[in-house]
Amino acid sequence: MDQLTTYAVTSLDGVAFGLLLFTVGAGLALIFGVMDIMNLAHGTLYLVGAYVAATLSGGGLLALGVALAVGLAVGAGGGAALSFVLRPLGREGSHLDEALVTLGIAFIAADGMTAAFGAAPMQTHVPTALEGSISLGIHAYPVYRLVFIGVAALVAVLLHVAVRRSTPGKMLRATISDPDMAAASGIDTGRVRTAALAVGGALAVGAGVLGAPLLGPGPGVDNTVLVLSLIVVVVGGAGSIPGTLLAALLVGQVQTIGVVTAPALAPFALFGAMLIVLVLRGRTTAVVAGRPA
Amino acid sequence: MTTTLSRPGVLPAVPVRPLVFAGTVTVCVALPWIVGAYQISLAASALVLGTLAMSTQLLVGVTGLPAFGQAAYFGVGAYTAALLANAGVTAGPVHLVAAASTGAAAALATAPIVLRTRATTFMMVTFAVQSLTATLASKWKPVTNGDDGLHTPAVRPWPGGPALTVNGFTYLYVLAAVLLLGLLMAVLLRSRLGLVLRGNADHEQRMAALGHRVTGELTLGYVAAGAFAGAGGALLIAVNRYVSPADMGFEVAAVTLLAAAIGAGSMTGAVVGAALVVFARDYLGGSTEHGPAFLGILFLLVAYGRPLVKRLRS
Amino acid sequence: MTLLQVDNLGRRYGGLHALQGVTLAVPVGARHGIIGPNGAGKSTLLNLIAGTVRPSTGTIVFDGKDLARLGPAARARRGIGRTWQHPAVFRRLTVTANVTLAVTRHALRAPARRPAVAARVQEVLERTGLTEHAAVPAGQLPYGLQRLLEFAVMLAAGPRLLLLDEPSAGLDPEETARLRAAVGALPEDVTTLLIDHNLDLVWSVCDTVTVLAQGRHLITGAPDAVRADESVRAAYLNVPAVPSAAARPVRTGRPLLRVTGLRAGYHGADVLSELELEIAEGDLVAVLGRNGAGKTTLLNALTGLVPTKPPTRIELDGTVLPPGRPHRVARAGVAIVPQGRRLFALTVAEHLEIAEATARRGDVYWTRAKVLELLPALAGRLSHHATRLSGGEQQMLALARALLTNPRLLILDEPSEGLAPAVVAHLATTLGVIASSGVTVLMAEQNLDLALRVTDRVLVLAEGRIALRSPVASLDRDRLHELVGA
Repeated sequence: MDQLTTYAVTSLDGVAFGLLLFTVGAGLALIFGVMDIMNLAHGTLYLVGAYVAATLSGGGLLALGVALAVGLAVGAGGGAALSFVLRPLGREGSHLDEALVTLGIAFIAADGMTAAFGAAPMQTHVPTALEGSISLGIHAYPVYRLVFIGVAALVAVLLHVAVRRSTPGKMLRATISDPDMAAASGIDTGRVRTAALAVGGALAVGAGVLGAPLLGPGPGVDNTVLVLSLIVVVVGGAGSIPGTLLAALLVGQVQTIGVVTAPALAPFALFGAMLIVLVLRGRTTAVVAGRPA
Repeated sequence: MTTTLSRPGVLPAVPVRPLVFAGTVTVCVALPWIVGAYQISLAASALVLGTLAMSTQLLVGVTGLPAFGQAAYFGVGAYTAALLANAGVTAGPVHLVAAASTGAAAALATAPIVLRTRATTFMMVTFAVQSLTATLASKWKPVTNGDDGLHTPAVRPWPGGPALTVNGFTYLYVLAAVLLLGLLMAVLLRSRLGLVLRGNADHEQRMAALGHRVTGELTLGYVAAGAFAGAGGALLIAVNRYVSPADMGFEVAAVTLLAAAIGAGSMTGAVVGAALVVFARDYLGGSTEHGPAFLGILFLLVAYGRPLVKRLRS
Repeated sequence: MTLLQVDNLGRRYGGLHALQGVTLAVPVGARHGIIGPNGAGKSTLLNLIAGTVRPSTGTIVFDGKDLARLGPAARARRGIGRTWQHPAVFRRLTVTANVTLAVTRHALRAPARRPAVAARVQEVLERTGLTEHAAVPAGQLPYGLQRLLEFAVMLAAGPRLLLLDEPSAGLDPEETARLRAAVGALPEDVTTLLIDHNLDLVWSVCDTVTVLAQGRHLITGAPDAVRADESVRAAYLNVPAVPSAAARPVRTGRPLLRVTGLRAGYHGADVLSELELEIAEGDLVAVLGRNGAGKTTLLNALTGLVPTKPPTRIELDGTVLPPGRPHRVARAGVAIVPQGRRLFALTVAEHLEIAEATARRGDVYWTRAKVLELLPALAGRLSHHATRLSGGEQQMLALARALLTNPRLLILDEPSEGLAPAVVAHLATTLGVIASSGVTVLMAEQNLDLALRVTDRVLVLAEGRIALRSPVASLDRDRLHELVGA
């Protein structure tokens, strides 16, 4: 019985971690959707957010608010800048060159952050108001995590509504589905792209600010986040917010429960998830490819 | 992705390329007598990375698949060699064969996943494969000793031969092995398989319409690339006498891609690229402790330089 | 003996039937032509046989074997060879390497086999006259030679059935003659299925011709019988009861669109060279011409979908439209209903909402209510996904999307493609209504009869230039038929 509740608590941790990955992964999927690039500097954006939180959040809710505002601004700017740094590669830039640019940025940024904040992981303090735990049955659970779960779930809902229901969301989907025709229909696809990149960047940095108490800043964290959010995008299919959310929750569970119970098997579980999804999806893409123009 | 093709009409009458190549090899062989021990160990590292870069080039430059995950098979080969060495088998050639085999086997096992995808998704999935394999190496403690890694005794160039503990000798052994691997790669590229891989890079649908088993051919190419990466892993053990999950990590994967990109489709170019990478990261960066920043700049230079070079050529 | 037997073959895309219930038997050695208007399902049929598209219904039996479970490569190994509409060659490989890949399918083979393969490659090159280009990368060959190389590559694989998809597209008359000779010189036991818009080629090469229309089989027979058949005439010239161009109010006669020095094309080669064009406000103009004459390129260049090259200058009502900025062109008042519709992966209502949001500022005439009144079929489908619509409904949605932006110039590319006669009649009426609201209309249309009934002026393109411009009323029909090749 006791073990069962331990699993339940671990699983709740998994939900929190999954939602963190969702927030980062949704940003990555957005950037992939409008630019068809793999943003290898995406983990860097998370790390920037985590460092901002560690530096600015000095205990109060206001400090966290300031950190979040700074983080979102930095993220939006960073995301938008991506379209400028990729522009010289031309419209038909090769995947290799695009990957090299984002890698270069990631390396330089990582070097800069290590120089500024040191090679040791930093502690992030939770605002005093959100400190402590509340009792869930026999186990106590940190208040901050519950709040994080609530906030991230709200972000997921808002994103979904924005993409499905708002006019800009519809323009975004039109741009992803046929960029040239979207432009010929009067949609400023350049602006849609920049906006999507800004939102994608803001999501990553925002996740870093709020997620720092869960996964704190330190060298190498950028790669951890990048890889896991990448798997979320591959498994989730990059096409829909619910798909990304589901994939993120799955990866979150594997990374918590799986790592506790069978650490060496966790990578295989993620391999397996990717294999299943890619095998299933192989068919649908083949049909789309066969459509007459 | 560009591939180098022989253009008979363009080549000058004097065989410049063979001459340059022979000169370079001579300098490489003479290097231990020219430079110091530190530089020689860097040169050996560059050769190891060069092998991995050749493996990546086979996919990126020749087959047109943006592979980010060759470091995984490199790691598999390195652990194979390390485990063999710790079990008392210290003969380098045995390491090479065994590591190439396990690298190939690992590539064969993962090919069904990665070859379902192309382009950006291919890059994502190979990245995931690399990262998950590295995670596996750090978690599978009974075999890999986790993040602490495995230390090994020195490798011997042949069974019963002298232990390679001096940098210069190790370097010469690795150089010989890399030249042999380069020769094998050259044979592969001139073989039917090389042609078939280039064909798939150019027009996969046309290949299928000619009856080619595209997935099977790409699997062959992927497995061959895995074998070269695995062999590179065996050379890593000869040079470092140590392997840890970091040796198959993100940075290794990234710089390998960079080396292949510098090579712009050619194998010798990839090896030169690997040397440049080691120079920027360890030689320039080593003294300032800003290796990653130098690498980052190199990444940007290459990324923006390549389209420029391409435009100048055409 | 039947080599290829197709039974009740069908393919649906959402609500669109690209091909429906087609049955065909092709004997060994046949030269079988497939013709029909655009959107008749010819390419779909060919892709179904080649295996790149999976059928929704029906079976394909090749040489006594059901192909259902075989992919494109397995079918190729059984002896099905094909070409594409754009030459499918290995652009970065030399001509020799291209042919080598066709001669041998083995990735691993002892070097001992090399001389045999090399000899075979040599023989193919000599037979096709490509020897002097042997060392040239295929991508650097001129277009006609790329077509020739594709043909050689396909033949070198030793197929028993050839699927030729528009082989004459983009070829000049001389090259077409060479193609005709090449098809004529094929071994007797090689069976050929040929799709081509160039009917002269089909009549002269084929011994049997099948006509498809609206995705259905219309008739199969000897060329003479097919040519004489009334239903074929109707399919090509499906003559709906179209009201002639009605008198319309806004006809100031002042130029709305003025184009000078238009150059555009793909892959370096210019499809249009220094084209001049002027269209008066309120006019309803048809662009006619053979396939490959540059109609679609012209229309796409006007909307910014295809990049233009200097000294192109496109003016709308005196304002220069910015090159390479399609959304600015659209907001200035140019809307397109493109070939193939190119709808988004959105619902009907979402399409309309986007169009409203990007509408030209100022006088809004076309509101959602007016558009749905004009195109009532859409009103009941607002929550449907675009892929679930029928072909006719999709065309109406593409039209609604364009109209809701309240354009000054409405461009339509082959609007009647793949539509049933009743829908075409409705379309014609609709265009009349749109024009009388003051919108200038420019349309490319292969259905000559429709074009001449709906519009009041025609422009005929030939070899990238305007070869003829005339009011419909005083049109020299002989000259038109000569240029269009009907």
